[in-house]
Amino acid sequence: MSIAKVPDISPISLYDPTAGSAVPAELWDGITDKNLGDWEVEWLPELLSRLRILHGQGVARSKWPQSRLWDWRRKLQAIEGLLANQCFSIVCNDMTQAMMITDLTHRAKLDAKQAAHLVYVEYLETAPWNRKEIIGQEPRLSGCGSIMIRAAIELSKEEGFKGRVGLHSLPQANNFYANQVGMEDLGIDKDYQNLRYFELTSEKAEAYITKGQQP
Amino acid sequence: MKIKVTEEWCVSQARLEAGAEVGAGVIALDPTFESDDAKNEPIDDSRVALQRFVELSRRQKNLSRQQLAEQADIDLSELEGIETDMHYMPETRTLYQLANVLGVSQKKLMGLSGLTQPKDVSYVEEAVRYAARSESISRLTPEEQAALDGLIAVLSEK
Repeated sequence: MSIAKVPDISPISLYDPTAGSAVPAELWDGITDKNLGDWEVEWLPELLSRLRILHGQGVARSKWPQSRLWDWRRKLQAIEGLLANQCFSIVCNDMTQAMMITDLTHRAKLDAKQAAHLVYVEYLETAPWNRKEIIGQEPRLSGCGSIMIRAAIELSKEEGFKGRVGLHSLPQANNFYANQVGMEDLGIDKDYQNLRYFELTSEKAEAYITKGQQP
Repeated sequence: MKIKVTEEWCVSQARLEAGAEVGAGVIALDPTFESDDAKNEPIDDSRVALQRFVELSRRQKNLSRQQLAEQADIDLSELEGIETDMHYMPETRTLYQLANVLGVSQKKLMGLSGLTQPKDVSYVEEAVRYAARSESISRLTPEEQAALDGLIAVLSEK
């Protein structure tokens, strides 16, 4: 399923660091025309204004947000009607805060002998205003990445993949996947534009869920 | 598909995430990171500090690159990349192995390499200052020895 007309909605919470409080939000199991509209009308102009600032400051291109050329509408069109792809979006305050496309056809590289399936995160991006590195101040809302990884784990369990998740991280996100999520770093993958490949085992997936339950 | 997740879990993880970059997926129209464009990007000072630290440490121990690579159980090409190519991005395992052999903090060496984003950048700045005091010659001069001692102190756990 790709462009969802009526997605299932799960109540979640994001975190407003400035107010220091939780904010009610929704996880949608799909990417709808509303989400794509938000991306075109709100995300792209915001991203462009941030790029102007970085360019004006002489910041090296390697430090610019690496997802700046992603076209979510084309990505969704490419997988239209394919059952192997499951999409998610996070909506808060009637605005799309993050989007993710997963693929269920990939196999785990860890313990390759078993060639077990996993949920592969094909694309994941959060709204520009939620990214501290490009806005240079506290994000409007935090927690989208954590929720998306949790959704990928739950999807993996539902598909019988026991929580296994794999992805190629953008270079600026290596730290998040290695240290916060606790994924195994399998090194640079020359077949994927020299991005680092990370994998979450079923044991590490449980540890990730448990970590968030500790006071 | 619906998921059940508590507000406590969400907030706990969101605080840790703290607006960090979380993007995943290939970069479409962007150049790859070993392309000529990437080679032309300015070199971070911290990468210079990493290169100088590894080279000085090896020479202080009177080891050839081959010998240090064997001690650390890493590929010789990886070590050569670190010492000679400022754009070279080492594997995480390589830095872990080198940190163990050279007796410094794994996390700090990762931060110096740019593979992770250090929370405290002051040690990176300090390491860069020490690295700037050394020149590359075959035997360590007293000044180089002092620079290396400073680098070791900065990159140690304490």
